[in-house]
Amino acid sequence: MTTMTSMTSDKPTLRTQEIIVFLADYGAWLLGCGATCIRLEKNVHRIANAFGLTVEIIITPRHIHLSTTGQDYSEPFTITAPTKVHATDFEIITQLSRLSWEVADKGPDFKRLKSEFHSITNNNRQNKWLVLFLVTLANASFCRLFGGDLTAMSLVAVATLAGYYLKQCLIEAKTDIRLTVLICSFVSSILGSTDYLFSLGSTPAITIGTSVLYLIPGIPYLNSFSDLLYRYYICSFSRFMDAIVMTACLSIGLCTGMMLMNIGMF
Amino acid sequence: MDTIIIEDALFAAIAAIGFSSISHLPKRAYPYCAVIAALSHSLRYIVMQNPEWHMHIFPATLLASFFTGISAVFLSHLAKTPAEACFFPSLLPMIPGMYAYRTFGAIAACIFSDTPDTFSFYFYQFAHNGFICISVLISMVVGSTIPIAIFKKVSFQATR
Repeated sequence: MTTMTSMTSDKPTLRTQEIIVFLADYGAWLLGCGATCIRLEKNVHRIANAFGLTVEIIITPRHIHLSTTGQDYSEPFTITAPTKVHATDFEIITQLSRLSWEVADKGPDFKRLKSEFHSITNNNRQNKWLVLFLVTLANASFCRLFGGDLTAMSLVAVATLAGYYLKQCLIEAKTDIRLTVLICSFVSSILGSTDYLFSLGSTPAITIGTSVLYLIPGIPYLNSFSDLLYRYYICSFSRFMDAIVMTACLSIGLCTGMMLMNIGMF
Repeated sequence: MDTIIIEDALFAAIAAIGFSSISHLPKRAYPYCAVIAALSHSLRYIVMQNPEWHMHIFPATLLASFFTGISAVFLSHLAKTPAEACFFPSLLPMIPGMYAYRTFGAIAACIFSDTPDTFSFYFYQFAHNGFICISVLISMVVGSTIPIAIFKKVSFQATR
């Protein structure tokens, strides 16, 4: 739900209003897909400037506030848009950033801008089986990088395959992401602990340790620091707390799985 | 040692491609991420394992992450993706996974320890592994993000 406020009795023109509503939606998508605040602000300013508007943005973790005074300070207008709930998606961020440059370089065409924006946000599907396969390979490679043997790599691959497939199913069923991470971490750690239980390989600790690494919230940690660097402290703190909560869920699942399997750490 | 470095680079590249797919990176950027990950992880391996340098994991990660950030800034123009999209998957193979695992394990062991001696032992394990884990994570984030701030103009024009 988007909230709009006109600050004076002079109503802003429909065009200005439309552009600002669009920009709020645009920013909400960028933030939801995991763009850094500095990128969001630069892209929004780029599009607004192309239309001859000056906007001020307030980015909070769950909302974006956009204000404009209009071209001749006669059209004060503020809008609040909620952040889109979306998984990290660099494809969308890339395409939306390119769209902002297109508007800046080729000139403003609001109709085309809107239609391209809708096509970017609506036609963005990924082959989930390919992702599952690549993530499985990636985590098995991780295991090797940490010194795991071939048995450990195979078991980590199985644990990742099962855990990530479960994650995809739970996300499709709109399960809370924190609960999803906890459950997946629990399942992967139980599968990973088979190396200990049945003495299959020579690096069982590495098997368990790496079986849950595909769940690490790396992007929120990185974005948090980037926001800190550019002094977006509220967003930085919010992203950092999100990452901490995810990491805590991951570790609760891991420790519960290990305790259930009666496996010591050292 | 040469074989180990090549193996290290290969697995880092595979890991980077896998983690690129999790964050839905455009497919044309996969090869760039793989190359950056392979080079940066090998660089860290070399500076840590070379008997003359024998660098600690903290500065070694900082150096490798800085290299990742610089490479991402300039290669993102070829991949036509934001620089941060390029460096994130390349950075992941350097995550101190085993230190994190031991840290969480030590916390659980502390909670369930029944004598002061075992508690002290596990608390030491928690503090030791935890500090290394956090310092490596900080060095990863700082090292890779600083180049984007330094080359701000270049970084934000990659998708143009």
